[in-house]
Amino acid sequence: MMKEYWQEELEVSSRSSLEKLQIERLNKTIEYAIQSPYYNKLFNKKGISPGSIKNIAQIQDLPFTTKQDLRNNFPYGFLTLPKKEIIRLHSSSGTTGNPTVIFHNRHDINSWANLMARSLFCAGVRDTDVFQNISGYGLFTGGLGFQYGIEALGCLSIPAGAGNSKRQIKLMQDYGTTVAHAIPSYLGRLYEVFEQENLDPKKNTQLHTLVIGAEPHTEEQRQRIEAMFGVKAYNSFGLSEMNGPGVAFECTYQSGLHIWEDAFYVEIIDPETLQPVPDGEYGELVMTTLDREAMPLIRYRTRDITRIIPGKCKCGRVHRRIDRITGRTDDMFIIKGCNVFPMQIEGVLLKIPEVGSDYLITLETVNDVDEMVVEVEVKPNWFSGDIRKLDQLTKQITTQIRDEVLAKPIVKLVEKGSIPRAEGKAVRVADKRNNGLK
Amino acid sequence: MAYEVSIFLENKIGHFERITQILKKNEINIRTMSINDTSNGWGILNLLVNNPQKAYKALEAEGVSVALKEIIALEMKDESGGLHDLLLKVAQAKVNFNNANGRIIQETKSAILILDVPDIADSQKKLMENGLQILDDEKIYGN
Repeated sequence: MMKEYWQEELEVSSRSSLEKLQIERLNKTIEYAIQSPYYNKLFNKKGISPGSIKNIAQIQDLPFTTKQDLRNNFPYGFLTLPKKEIIRLHSSSGTTGNPTVIFHNRHDINSWANLMARSLFCAGVRDTDVFQNISGYGLFTGGLGFQYGIEALGCLSIPAGAGNSKRQIKLMQDYGTTVAHAIPSYLGRLYEVFEQENLDPKKNTQLHTLVIGAEPHTEEQRQRIEAMFGVKAYNSFGLSEMNGPGVAFECTYQSGLHIWEDAFYVEIIDPETLQPVPDGEYGELVMTTLDREAMPLIRYRTRDITRIIPGKCKCGRVHRRIDRITGRTDDMFIIKGCNVFPMQIEGVLLKIPEVGSDYLITLETVNDVDEMVVEVEVKPNWFSGDIRKLDQLTKQITTQIRDEVLAKPIVKLVEKGSIPRAEGKAVRVADKRNNGLK
Repeated sequence: MAYEVSIFLENKIGHFERITQILKKNEINIRTMSINDTSNGWGILNLLVNNPQKAYKALEAEGVSVALKEIIALEMKDESGGLHDLLLKVAQAKVNFNNANGRIIQETKSAILILDVPDIADSQKKLMENGLQILDDEKIYGN
């Protein structure tokens, strides 16, 4: 019989046995967490000890963890093990403030690779596939996170990295790529290059599946990608604090993303009252790692807004499904696969004496590609009438923002007074992308 | 020293008009103008006016990104070949310029060429060594 699930015993077991496993793993997670300076202090203060969880609802007695907590305890405050045991770190970009860094021991890397393999298997990827990972390798989790999963699954992996569309197409043709992973906005650009080369991905490649993620997108965008490439495109969800990719994934029914509840405990809360909301209602996704040793996170507030899709999936998996991310409870936005806080852009601009502190970020879709336009006011007393200096300034701002957030902006210099002054809290980001997400 | 008034201008409806309104209110007379457009959504407006300092102050007070830019003005004959004869001498003096415009002076049947050069002092020296007369401010700004 053909294998239907990557780990049948974990994927199609009953809710009750899944819950039993969750309780067991949560206690173990607390056992690890209490070894870290941060949780040790916190748990001792609150009287939390390993083995204290008898039913899973008791997780609500545990404190939340926020991104700010991670930053405040940078770099080793959450580490449970001696550095000798740690084999990798992934970190957010940025030079302003402390980055968000996650450490992994060998168990964590293997567990992550397994979840990634399970995710891909559930989207129909098999060891007979040739998998091209069009994703940046390095501190960004989309590169190595996928790589280890692809290898664990047993596909022939092509670690292509991001960009260079002509080379991507050549790799696809040379090695008969059948599955590729990329951010959705890149695939529009890649298709354009196919057209420029007088190639049709439907006829000139063997692609049958695309994995898209790391960037919010709508059902319409997915369908457009599927039509362009003549493939099935599956939504992937992850965040670096929860390893990276491989947290939740669509199965072949494409009706929501199965979130791997043996590895993550999932809560959806009202961000105001911090109380849980019923299945089906939108709220903030809160996650607890259940299988991470080096750096467990308890009730981590992801700031992503989604909901649990009620009911069972036709695929038979007991892991519940989350819906697409519809927004954020903070001002972070995602562009070209990069997480960007307006404060990072502000930090760059404040260091450039020629520009004022007024700026506006507009996110817009140009020819299917999402762009970040940064309008900056030029300080009148700096202006010398020299067009070259202004061109130079534009280039300087573009490079510095790209170095900070990793996504290249379109910088536009504007006259002083051009950017509307907001009363009270300034509106710094206008999202005009046609992905329907606001 | 002669000056041009340089203005940073977004390529948007009404922005140029705002400038001319300020100049009108302050009774500034424009002698010549040129706009350098760029592909970035903005350009630079260069104005030669009868009173650059007054124009500069008025625009600055309104928050406009404005600069006084030193220029060199040379006289030529208002007849066929006039510009060519002058540019030949400018080339012989090995002076390069970034931007130029010209205007006619009715009474003397002459014209002036206004040059925006990277290095004013050096260019002036070279032009004078090659027998070219640099015009004084009054002649440049005047009627």
